[in-house]
Amino acid sequence: MRRITLIVTAVVVVLFIISWIIKTNTVPEDGTFRPFIQGFLVTFAAFLTLAIMSFLYRDNPFYKFAEHLYVGVSAAYAMSLGFWTTLVGNLFPRISQNLSDWFGVPFLHYEWHFVIPPILGIILLMRLSPKGGWISRWALAFIVGTTAGLNLPRFLRSDFIEQISSTFLPLLVQWQGVGPFFSNFSLAASGQFIAILTNITIFLGVLCGLIYFFFSKEHKGVFGTASRFGIWVLMVTFGASFGYTVMGRISLLVGRLTFLLKDWLGIIS
Amino acid sequence: MTAKTILFILVAVLLAPLVMAQEEAVPDSTVGVIPPAPPLNFRAFDTPYDNGHSISLEWELSADDGQGRNNVLGYRVMRAESPDGPFVERGIVTSGGTSYNDSGVKESDSPDYFPRDHDFYYKIVATTADGSEAESEVFGPVRAVGQWFNARKWPVLIAVGLFTAFTLAFITLARRGKDLYVRPLAGIEAVDEAIGRATEMGKPILYVMGLGTAADIATIASFTILSRVAKKVAEYQTSLIVPCYDPIVMTVAQETVKASYYDAGRPDAYDDKDVFFLTNQQFAYVGGVNGIMIRQKPATNFYLGKFYAESLILAETGATTGSIQISGTDEVTQIPFFVVACDYTLIGEELYAASAYLGREPVLLGTLKAQDWGKACVIISIILGVLFAIFGWQDGVDAFRPGN
Amino acid sequence: MTNIGVYISLLLIFGGLLAILIYSLKGRDVDRRIIFLFVLFSVASAIIFHIEFEESATPIVKKVFEFVENLPPESKILISFDFDPAMKPEVHPMANAFVRHALVKGHKLYLMGLWPQGQALMTETIEYVLKPEFPNAVYGEDYVMLGYKAGNEGVLNVIITDFRKMYSTDAHGTSLDSIPLFDDVKSAKDMDLIFPVGGGKPGPKEWILFVGDPGNVPIAPGLAAVVAPLIYPYYPRQAIGLLGGVKGAAEYESELKKNYKEFENVETPALQMMGPQTMAHIVIMAFIVIGNIGFFRARRRKWQEGN
Repeated sequence: MRRITLIVTAVVVVLFIISWIIKTNTVPEDGTFRPFIQGFLVTFAAFLTLAIMSFLYRDNPFYKFAEHLYVGVSAAYAMSLGFWTTLVGNLFPRISQNLSDWFGVPFLHYEWHFVIPPILGIILLMRLSPKGGWISRWALAFIVGTTAGLNLPRFLRSDFIEQISSTFLPLLVQWQGVGPFFSNFSLAASGQFIAILTNITIFLGVLCGLIYFFFSKEHKGVFGTASRFGIWVLMVTFGASFGYTVMGRISLLVGRLTFLLKDWLGIIS
Repeated sequence: MTAKTILFILVAVLLAPLVMAQEEAVPDSTVGVIPPAPPLNFRAFDTPYDNGHSISLEWELSADDGQGRNNVLGYRVMRAESPDGPFVERGIVTSGGTSYNDSGVKESDSPDYFPRDHDFYYKIVATTADGSEAESEVFGPVRAVGQWFNARKWPVLIAVGLFTAFTLAFITLARRGKDLYVRPLAGIEAVDEAIGRATEMGKPILYVMGLGTAADIATIASFTILSRVAKKVAEYQTSLIVPCYDPIVMTVAQETVKASYYDAGRPDAYDDKDVFFLTNQQFAYVGGVNGIMIRQKPATNFYLGKFYAESLILAETGATTGSIQISGTDEVTQIPFFVVACDYTLIGEELYAASAYLGREPVLLGTLKAQDWGKACVIISIILGVLFAIFGWQDGVDAFRPGN
Repeated sequence: MTNIGVYISLLLIFGGLLAILIYSLKGRDVDRRIIFLFVLFSVASAIIFHIEFEESATPIVKKVFEFVENLPPESKILISFDFDPAMKPEVHPMANAFVRHALVKGHKLYLMGLWPQGQALMTETIEYVLKPEFPNAVYGEDYVMLGYKAGNEGVLNVIITDFRKMYSTDAHGTSLDSIPLFDDVKSAKDMDLIFPVGGGKPGPKEWILFVGDPGNVPIAPGLAAVVAPLIYPYYPRQAIGLLGGVKGAAEYESELKKNYKEFENVETPALQMMGPQTMAHIVIMAFIVIGNIGFFRARRRKWQEGN
């Protein structure tokens, strides 16, 4: 192992121990854990946060450790929770009195068709077998087919037809006079000018966006102009989406920094 | 007149007011309490477009609900199995309400069971705070019946029917060899140029298929484009690197690339190690691909498939190594990052169009054309709907809205 | 913001940005780690020096607030915790604010989740918000925790017709039939409002598609910022309003504080986050401008050299 790696590791370990000792003596009593454990948990959480952030400098073993730990714990948590809520909570009370009693959940009543999903699940797991992997396609076909069948009318209704009917906007609202036409330029306006502008923007944006994604005709002439307007509308949308995502990521950073500064270092109250 | 008689008359005269007062002092509870006006035009009918375990009731407000004496507190919904009763309360509607749905479940052993095809009789009773009531006429017999078809959802049925018809028709046409036009896409035209660049520079081509499974449409579209890229790579004798996230995807990708090399007449050049499984952990995968980009410095990077939060990390690292980058995904939230960091981006449906354009498979072409015709229908619907809205024809506007 | 530390931080940030602008105008590249440090410094200084701004609710958030205000007392509200700790800083405050609002209005709460980690987060809300601030709230009569259920949109397909087919018991193993809150609740259609909080799949979009539209149930989604643009098309017909990211959460918290004196002193993490958020956004916008200036200058120089 290189010397610099040893030094860095040693420094991290020493700082970890110092932080643990300090937090054990300063962490407020909350009744859930003893201060010794509470101090360790806060220090360990801070260590993991900083380990992940160290990736911004470059990849390193601390980042790898934190990432693998997160992946492992989240997978295990999801699996155990899925077991207790789905198998124990939903399946056993409907297929076996003995199993229900063993796990301490109230038995409901026998529903024989509840045996089919675990059989399909086992068939799906056969994917892991080199020889028997072919059979998993049947379970997969069932999942894909059922999902498509269930989702098609839902998506067609909510994402397609409802959205189309939401675009049925009057481009010219009823004339109410010069005052109401120009009144109240805020975005929350009920003034006619803003209402007309909004409706026209939505109508043209949807229409030209659809034209951009039309592949059966070359984008020339009027069609091409509409398509160019459509891609501009799309780019504005992507910019807004980008900005929203940046806001989301920064808020996560704020959350972590608040933890480091408040719960770990105690700089802020 | 004797003393007894006089005493009797005196007592009677003196006591009479007391007796009369006592009679007057006894209150008559029925005096002064006037029942409210009954609800009017009450009717009960089978709830339309349901599974047959519900009956709907409608009535007009009592004349004393919100007007008149304004003393109606609410309405009790009463049900019986014969017109003479006995009636059982099924629900309460507060004042101002003019409808109620009497419904239940289909399981006969449930306390909430509501039988189908069974005659019921209903009446509505207006109630007041002082306990007085007024009943509507008894309505019945009425029975709950299930319907096979929910006619309120006809717009959804028409949409499904139209789209299915378009898809089947165009797939059939494509299979018969009809040439279906697809406009050229900038990102696809750049593919050949990008592969040529990599060949000139003597550097490999990196093809990343994203985090999707073999069942995801974006991944399936990516397979088609990979086939085309692999064929060109085989012809130009460039090297190809395909790190995979999913083991099944890796299997399919290996078969795809192998077949392309065979088609190009260079089966000997194919190496299984070019298409390999990396890891199925999101950020570990990104770390691995970044490592490949930094070490092997590919001239061209393709990011085509399903991507999530790692998209910008990939594209940024590729940009710093100076590669030409062509990307495409249907994940709307990741498209902005690709647009910013890559040279060409296939936005959403353009990825599917690209796979149809390059692969020319009948199924892909047929579905693409069906989607285009669907879009044409949508454009026409929107123009019509806007015209209806401008001229105030609300029925036309509402015709497109499916009910429940 | 009279804190001297605030002024020093602002001076350092804007001075640094000016230096980078000059550096960039000389045609030099700025190391990305400098940008990371700037963002880190701006956020940290805003947190340390408590830079805060007033918030007022935009119409899209106000619609949600007013809907809850106008619901009749004892209305049934379902909250779905469809997020994990990665999204917690931005969406958990909105879930907590919503719980406060619903309970102070006397509504009944049904808590569930489609993400496994959501169960731990709803427990956190109950332990750290609900129980301390509403000690008179009775489990089973004022609120109930159904917990997590695997199955994604399959869960929604079932609960829109019958809760009991998916949830035979609550998260503690108590049968739904012995919980008073479920006496007159058969399915999700019996809810007066659904507040799905999250930003992935399954999430608010699935609630609109599988419960809101088919069941005609009002939906008011609380969204992580990443997915907020995708849900805007559903407003106002399919979503009565929406809370987008930490800004939406801050606006809701601010409305709550303005309308209810009892919440004047409660912790408002989203409102506190808006100061650091704003500082980070200013720094990022400055870098975008600086980057574009550098880009267009370089392009012009190349064009001039080509000529």
